Amino acid sequence: MRFAVDTGGTFTDLVLEDDRGRLHMFKAPTTPDDPVRGILDVVGTAAESFGATPETLLGRGDLFIHGTTHATNACVTGTTARTAFLTTHGHPDVMVLREGGRLQPFNFRVPFPKPYVPRSLTFEIRERIAADGKVLEPVDEESVLEIIGRLRERRVEAVAVCLLWSTVNPLHERRVGELLSHHLPDVPYTLSHVLNPVLREYRRASSACIDASLKPLMSRYLGSLAIRLRKAGFRGRLLMLTAQGGVMDAEDLAAAPIHAVGSGPSMAPIAGRHFARLDVRGDTAIVADTGGTTYDVSLVRRGSIPITPETWLGQRYRGHILGFPSVDVRSIGAGGGSIAWVDEGGLLQVGPMSAGAVPGPASYGKGGTRATVTDAALVLGYIDPAYFLGGAMKLDVALAQQAVGRDVGGPLGLDLNGAAAAIVRVATENMVGAIEEITVNQGIDPRGAVLVGGGGAAGLNSVAIARRLGCRGLVIPELGAALSAAGAIMSDLHAGYRALQFTVSDGFDLAGVNMTLAELLGRCQRFLEGPGSGALEHSVDIVAEARYRHQIWEIDVPIPFQRFEDETHVARVREAFDRVHEEIFGFGDPGSAVEFVGWRATVRCRLRGRSLGRLAREKGSRVKLAPTRKVYFGDAGVVSARIELFETLRPEQPLKGPAIIESPFTTVVIDPGARVMRKRSGSLVITP
Amino acid sequence: MPRRPLDPVTLAVLSKRFDSITTKMANTLLRTGRSGVLNMAKDFSTSIVTRDCELLTGAETLPIHVLSGADLMARSMMELHPVLRRGDAFLHNSPYHGCSHPADHTILVPVIDEKGTHHFTIWVKAHQADIGNSLPTTYMAQARDVYEEGALIFPCVKVQQDGEDITDIIRLCEMRIRVPGQWRGDYLAMVGAARIGEREVLAMAAEFGWQTLHAFTRAWFDYCEQRMIAAIRRMPSGEARATSTHDAVRGTPPDGITITVGLKVDSENAMIEVDLRNNPDAMPCGLNLSEGCARTAAMIGIFNSIPESVPTSAGSFRRIKVHIREGSVAGGGKHPTSMSVATTNLADRVTNPVQVAFSMIHDGLGLAECGPIMGASLAVISGVDPRNGNEPFVNQIFLLDTGGAGAATTDAWLTICHAGNSGMCFLDSVELDELHFPLVVKQRRLVPDTEGAGRTVGAPAGYCEYGPVAGANLEVVYVADGVRNRARGTRGGLNGAPIRNYLRSTEGELTELPGIADVVLRPGETVVSNCAGGGGYGPPWERPVEKVREDVEEGWITRQRAHDVYGVVLTDGGQVDVAATDARRAGLAAAQA
Repeated sequence: MRFAVDTGGTFTDLVLEDDRGRLHMFKAPTTPDDPVRGILDVVGTAAESFGATPETLLGRGDLFIHGTTHATNACVTGTTARTAFLTTHGHPDVMVLREGGRLQPFNFRVPFPKPYVPRSLTFEIRERIAADGKVLEPVDEESVLEIIGRLRERRVEAVAVCLLWSTVNPLHERRVGELLSHHLPDVPYTLSHVLNPVLREYRRASSACIDASLKPLMSRYLGSLAIRLRKAGFRGRLLMLTAQGGVMDAEDLAAAPIHAVGSGPSMAPIAGRHFARLDVRGDTAIVADTGGTTYDVSLVRRGSIPITPETWLGQRYRGHILGFPSVDVRSIGAGGGSIAWVDEGGLLQVGPMSAGAVPGPASYGKGGTRATVTDAALVLGYIDPAYFLGGAMKLDVALAQQAVGRDVGGPLGLDLNGAAAAIVRVATENMVGAIEEITVNQGIDPRGAVLVGGGGAAGLNSVAIARRLGCRGLVIPELGAALSAAGAIMSDLHAGYRALQFTVSDGFDLAGVNMTLAELLGRCQRFLEGPGSGALEHSVDIVAEARYRHQIWEIDVPIPFQRFEDETHVARVREAFDRVHEEIFGFGDPGSAVEFVGWRATVRCRLRGRSLGRLAREKGSRVKLAPTRKVYFGDAGVVSARIELFETLRPEQPLKGPAIIESPFTTVVIDPGARVMRKRSGSLVITP
Repeated sequence: MPRRPLDPVTLAVLSKRFDSITTKMANTLLRTGRSGVLNMAKDFSTSIVTRDCELLTGAETLPIHVLSGADLMARSMMELHPVLRRGDAFLHNSPYHGCSHPADHTILVPVIDEKGTHHFTIWVKAHQADIGNSLPTTYMAQARDVYEEGALIFPCVKVQQDGEDITDIIRLCEMRIRVPGQWRGDYLAMVGAARIGEREVLAMAAEFGWQTLHAFTRAWFDYCEQRMIAAIRRMPSGEARATSTHDAVRGTPPDGITITVGLKVDSENAMIEVDLRNNPDAMPCGLNLSEGCARTAAMIGIFNSIPESVPTSAGSFRRIKVHIREGSVAGGGKHPTSMSVATTNLADRVTNPVQVAFSMIHDGLGLAECGPIMGASLAVISGVDPRNGNEPFVNQIFLLDTGGAGAATTDAWLTICHAGNSGMCFLDSVELDELHFPLVVKQRRLVPDTEGAGRTVGAPAGYCEYGPVAGANLEVVYVADGVRNRARGTRGGLNGAPIRNYLRSTEGELTELPGIADVVLRPGETVVSNCAGGGGYGPPWERPVEKVREDVEEGWITRQRAHDVYGVVLTDGGQVDVAATDARRAGLAAAQA
């Protein structure tokens, strides 16, 4: 049995794959004060449904795959550890100066970004290594000890070390690491050459600083999760999602927590691609995951998962570079919990603030008083107050009406329905804007794409969004309410290793490169024998990061063998480089030498054999709902909409809106004029 | 044929599509260029011009390259080559025919349909590492004329026909440009980028039809104009006059060159005018501005000062007038006047007073002056690399620049480089420079207490020091403004720090170097360079107290400076002494009054 749990801003989702391959989906509110409690809660909900105790249920589990926004949130809200940055003497401003670069040359309203680690916590170490690895100045250990003393005084909680050329000769970074281990044993640290051995000191330093700053928090979190799961009866393997769209063992992630940054939404495109292919044979899909707090969008183009080579925390040049590639997902603050209000200029605003899980929308009756998108949907009749989360949570319509009327209706002079419809409409526009960022702004016409709607709140306005964009189809998978968790169930175990080994095509260092490749492959092998043992199948891919002589930006060339036997191998790779260069940039330069800078090996292990199963029908889920309900649609006014249950909707039978399709996890609103059909896969396919 | 109005979705999609083409071209250049000035400093630009030679869109790159110039250069292509064929490409770097300065080699590719009709022009401009000048630098500040300057000038010369190089031209360049392989690599990158742009526009035409694309350009220009009208109407009307002075070089008066700009904002009629006519005649030096640079420099000052983002295209430019006097140093020079350094030094002395003039019209508009460049931290370096079989190299390094000006509501963007660059260029990675050249960077750091003090502050100065390794000699050539004339603050803000350059001998002794220098560093010697800071905006004692406290905590300024200049008194624990601060600030304000 496999568990996949995704902790979102508002809900914690669980997708469970039983031993017969059937899937089960559960949700429980996220508990921000102690997120592990929310995870145990959702397991409890599942156990109840299985008529078992959590202990027996967890006891049957062999894998527990978990994704969390914990790391991202900590970076965004500045609640990471108090981190110090140790740098080579003479170069204290690596994190301040960055690599230059700016967006919007005429916009002087955006301040220059503050360094990720403040200057007051930056310390210069007397040492220097040259580009060829030679020691120009040995580490002055006295000065390191003196700095360690200051770190103690300043009550520093984590340390990042990035010294110039540590990638070529790690001697000094290692020595500083030893001194830190010895004299500051309780403070975790990150050495840049271990974490991310790339050329360019800012990237390496930024990786190291972000990583170190997450170590205390993520070790605490992962430690507590492992211990509590074990206490609750879990005996299997705990895997964590990464921003690269794969999974890692929890203890490996604790040692390099930077890989968790941005991991939360990275699985949605993987699941979205699966359903777009399965349900409408769509090759280009906009995958939108609407949670309570954020709206995450990504674009699957020609079937490939979007990867960004330079991941930034926040905006490019304005945020902080992570220094690793990652799945490209953009987020905006919009969702069911988005708060609606009228600003001083009389303009209706929805989000980016969210009522979150606590206190939640007004209608939850848990102390939230401000009007949210969920409250508006309740007022409009989109949501059945008695059947929210399958009836697990009763919503209070009166509280929703009160909030919508007070916060929006009054100030704008609109009646209740008008005000609620305006809230949903503005939320829709915000979401459309986010999708335009990744489509229209890249010159891709969304009219040719399929929209895949995931997340608990997706059903409220996905038809409206698809209409606004002119999308040809909309798919709401039956697992859509837990899209990321569904992606996690499908994900592979992976690890990536990287080494710097500079050589040129017209003087290729066969021995040196083969040594580097052997070392990388050895690490892959150790991974296969360790974390990867028991995998159904695996692959190891090697790429060289190469460029023409005097270029400085490398591109990836796949290496189709594991060692360079002779010059013919060099010639083959060099020709491959010309081809890749031509493909990307429109020209090759066979006359120019090729420089090979870095080498990467990626190992992926497939953990599941069969294809994804269907959602099982849970016992006792048969409810009787009224056949119709009064629902307000802006243009059409109040109409009587047909009510159907997601799980009992007959496959391949078209149905025309207005209709509402209910499930214990989501409510899908089919606007008048739209048509919906349930496919045999279980998904709803809607022609907006 | 009837003109169908363009639906708003198509307008949005096409505008983004054209943008994304220029961005893709820019990425190609950045990723494939060979010289540091291109692949690190991003000193290039890409744009698309209509068949009427109007600027449609440009990638977000260096402003000084692109606002005006693409139009002039496309026009010269059409005048000099009345018959254009698919597969043609032109090499253009003549400041006498619209180019910014000779170092900016430009490739123009006309986009032509199957019937032979010309629809758009693709335009790719990149600053070269070398252009065959008489000295190993692309900035010949002291050249008497174009002959002494020595650049090869290509007044829109056909360099490809039927998509193939005209090898006569390539050979000519290879004989006269230093490190010819590097130049050829950059040429390939430029042509590659231009051909990508051509291919993409042809694909768009296949999808939408030429008619729709031309309908789009009309609609887009109207839209941009409306946005500009709205932006100008939100500003108060007013007139102001401001000056800015470039340091003296050989060929200028002993006090340097003072540029005077007149600014007029006419809110009612939604027009902005900049008058550059009251400026001296062109001079026997390389600082003279080309027409393209003079116009663009003035326009940068305008767009910097508009308190919202308006797209830059021929549509928004309809609301701008820049007046230039024939024969003047500010854009009126004629062949053989040298315009070798036109994109940086004197151009900044046009942009800066324009943005200052806006601040004079209204507190809350414009900026102070950005720092001048280019000292040894941005030098052109050359020599042979003993680590690499004595391979010759020549390249501009971008080791350190700051220079941002205090803006109306925001502190400086630290790494602005200079006004015409606007922070778009990258800073070199120390590791990358040390890998590529036989040098070591001993220090690179920001200097406390050097910021342009103000309500919002200008950038502090930076300090860097580097020298040759591996037994090499290193030739360092630079042209610095701002040794005498610093970036000025505005509305009570203080001036930025000046540029300084020194030679450190093998014994460690420092000797100050002049503003313009060509030095050969021997093994063991280093050059020390302080880059210029930017000016502040508004009186320093109006800077929020909490920000000043943070500035001290973060080591940007000392407690002494917080007290003396900002009037903020801190306790020994680093907390604000409110009463003492109030008194000190009142005193500073009164002394000023």
